[in-house]
Amino acid sequence: MRFVDEFRDAELGRVLSGEILSLVEPGRHYKVMEVCGGHTHSIYKYGIDDLLPADVELVHGPGCPVCVIPMGRVDDGIAIAKTEGVIFTCFGDMMRVPGSEGSLLDAKAQGADVRMVYSPLDALRIAKRNPDRDVVFFAIGFETTAPSTALTLKRARAEGVPNFFCMCNHVTIVPPLRALLDSPDLRLDGFIGPGHVSTVVGARPFEFIPADYGRPVVISGFEPLDVLHSIQMIMRQLIEGRCQVENQYKRVVPYEGNLRALEVMAEVFELRPHFEWRGLGFISQSALKLSDAYSELDAERRYEVPGVRVADPKACQCGEVLKGVIKPWECKVFGTACTPERPIGTCMVSPEGACAAYYNYGRYARDREVV
Amino acid sequence: MSFCDHDSGCITCGDVAMALTVLRVDEERELALCATDAGEKETVETALVGPVEPGDALLVHAGTALQRLEEAS
Repeated sequence: MRFVDEFRDAELGRVLSGEILSLVEPGRHYKVMEVCGGHTHSIYKYGIDDLLPADVELVHGPGCPVCVIPMGRVDDGIAIAKTEGVIFTCFGDMMRVPGSEGSLLDAKAQGADVRMVYSPLDALRIAKRNPDRDVVFFAIGFETTAPSTALTLKRARAEGVPNFFCMCNHVTIVPPLRALLDSPDLRLDGFIGPGHVSTVVGARPFEFIPADYGRPVVISGFEPLDVLHSIQMIMRQLIEGRCQVENQYKRVVPYEGNLRALEVMAEVFELRPHFEWRGLGFISQSALKLSDAYSELDAERRYEVPGVRVADPKACQCGEVLKGVIKPWECKVFGTACTPERPIGTCMVSPEGACAAYYNYGRYARDREVV
Repeated sequence: MSFCDHDSGCITCGDVAMALTVLRVDEERELALCATDAGEKETVETALVGPVEPGDALLVHAGTALQRLEEAS
């Protein structure tokens, strides 16, 4: 398969594994956070952690778009979905995220017209085919997905589709990273930077991590060799006493990102003063809403929503998992009350969630074998 | 297209981007019909990568091309 096979070579993987081992300082334990859920998924799908020395620990970060959606926002979406005449559209995994009284999938079972889409453009297509119904698109995701929503909103306006609306839950990656770095209970040695977010924002937004916090960042691709190479690059920075943003994913990520995407986002969105992140609480300027210029397309202005903050279930420890404080299997309900089929917490919903990644690939071992 | 299944989940929710090849172009609307190597087809917004031609490889997420792809050397 093009763009894939060359990054799955087992022999090269073993070479990189050996190089990482050679870069470990005796007696030092390294904690490296993979920011993006896509990396978490790759790590457990391909068993990358088994190729690492025992003293190189991977910590899972908050970059799973579904995992960070708080229950209150799900409730708000369900309230809109249950409004007479509304067709409510959202991405697949989002339908299974529990709110305080069930998920969007449950709302669908109760009669709400909730439909799964793969892209915002699909939702717009539904709006065009149903001119007598309001079609609401529940937008989630980081800067990877936000440009797609922005383009679709521009298209809806340009093509004169009056029945298309957006409930915007897009979030931005830098504020939660800063929150994690300010957290006293987490000591990290470096970051595997999010590859697909960086195709849009570039590498520059991550420069604050080496500059302000003295930690290296390597923007990484998602194939097994990409991730191993990025860990090797982080380890090399550490042993050489360097600290900077490096780009392992140069074949896709320009250092400046995609300037057209950033322009479109700036036109359609503006920062919310604050937004609640599941497990991380309220973080200032960490999410997007529709700008005033696009306010007539804003579902939150068109519909009354409860807007109530809902506490996570007591048994759920998604917050600690999202902050990398505990491993998924250390959660009290992991694999018992909380499974991908019946998730309690968001980390078990999306395959990019750390808990689902552990669960789906049988990563139940409490201790890794020493390499 | 296998965008959402138990093994790989919803690729849009997962921030996953895929390599697609351009088959046909609607220049005026900045849309392109693209396909995976397996032949699965999808309509893609191309406004963020500029004019495209049949045969171009694009990195696509949520129906939008985010970058052009070059073959690894």
